[in-house]
Amino acid sequence: MSDPHQPRWEHDTGTQLTSRQRLDRTARHLLPSVFTALVIIFFSGPLTVPGAAELLPAIVINTIFFWSVWRPSGMPSLAVFLLGLFMDLVGFTPLGVSAFILLLVHGIGSYARFGLMRMNFLVVWCLFGLVGAAAAALQWALACLFRLHLLDPAPAFFEALLCIGVYPLLSATFSWFLHILDEKDAP
Amino acid sequence: MVPVSIQVRQALSKLVLPVLLLMSVGIIIAGQADRPLADRARMRVADVLAPLWGLLSRTQTDSQRFVHGIQEARNLAEENHRLIAENANLRRWYDVAVSLARENDALKTELHWVPEPTPAFVTGRVVADSGGIYARAVLLVAGTTSGVQAGNIALASSGLAGRVTEVGAHAARILLITDIASRLPVELESSHAAAIMVGDNSPLPRLLYYSQDTRPIEGERVVTSDQAGAFPSGIPIGSVHYLHPGQPVVQPFARLDRLTMLRVFDFGQSEIEPPEAPGHVPLTRPHRALTLPFKTLLGPGQEG
Repeated sequence: MSDPHQPRWEHDTGTQLTSRQRLDRTARHLLPSVFTALVIIFFSGPLTVPGAAELLPAIVINTIFFWSVWRPSGMPSLAVFLLGLFMDLVGFTPLGVSAFILLLVHGIGSYARFGLMRMNFLVVWCLFGLVGAAAAALQWALACLFRLHLLDPAPAFFEALLCIGVYPLLSATFSWFLHILDEKDAP
Repeated sequence: MVPVSIQVRQALSKLVLPVLLLMSVGIIIAGQADRPLADRARMRVADVLAPLWGLLSRTQTDSQRFVHGIQEARNLAEENHRLIAENANLRRWYDVAVSLARENDALKTELHWVPEPTPAFVTGRVVADSGGIYARAVLLVAGTTSGVQAGNIALASSGLAGRVTEVGAHAARILLITDIASRLPVELESSHAAAIMVGDNSPLPRLLYYSQDTRPIEGERVVTSDQAGAFPSGIPIGSVHYLHPGQPVVQPFARLDRLTMLRVFDFGQSEIEPPEAPGHVPLTRPHRALTLPFKTLLGPGQEG
């Protein structure tokens, strides 16, 4: 569980690191957060893509879950919190709701990461499906609570389905990306 | 930096998530309690992001236009084929028209045809008529300075609109064919039968006084007749339509409810005077003194 701790410790001892290497490492750690922020900006923009409003939380939940499980140093809790807040600010969800939900997803991912990393892809997908569905349901429930009015559950259902459906694609992309990073790191 | 032991750091890092969760709950509550503050924060973020979104939407429209252009290019060949075929067809019709015109010229020469004078016309803008004695009349910005005279004929782009009834220096009032005061001699084009088109202030003037053995046929074209010398013959007016059995009306070709421009033609019709014949009493013209041809009624050698 000392993983987020690791770079700091290395930084203290590895004083020989050049500034270029340090920059490289910082960029690598910031990359998932920056990617998510760009996705949020892109999908909250005036797009004519159908279902953009449901696709955005699906992609963000996927990204945060993936990086929380496989590389938590790339997705620290503070970044998740800020991303959620940003998503609330550009979207129309009540302020703080997305931050709360994303933090929960991040917490589950980083809590169960050692168990999940050993499992088959399909099992991880199923478990993530549960998490995504729970997140969509929680978002719907909170929206209902704050509007004091029972909203149509269809968008939440759609969002959960998108969340589950988009996982293999994003997971493959991120895995490939991680592979490249590790290869670059090895020599 | 404050030196802290690894244990303390680990404990702190475990605390980060719960603290952030609590903070988000706090933000939720604060946002619900003070909505204007949340809205202001939202607007500030939107202000910062607006140029980015503008760039995004412009890129999107550009790419859509690009895709559309490619699709257009794909249709271009097909369109070209169609146009070539149509052009060939039109060229054939052009040849037909030229040969018909030549034939027409030749026949007219054979017949010693007197050519009709090309009518002069002026075009004016229609301004709405608010006053006047007519219910369906318009005011045209063209008057005697432009050569418009009472009795001239106003044509819309697609058919007869009405007649000039009063002229000022810069304006002319045009009585439309739908007015209740408008009665025109017309001709049914396919049967060449005469009738009178009577306006009744409705958009469809009625057809009256047609002969009972040549009734108007539904859809038949109605053109002006040169009887009574008011109109040249053959100006298209409209088509016959039966509102009820035995009640034919004319659907005007001109859109009389939204006229914007009218052409006023001077066919010089008032200058045509029939040659005097024994026993014929000419029509009274306001600018001419009544001169009855008594001389011709008397026998030769009896005058004096």
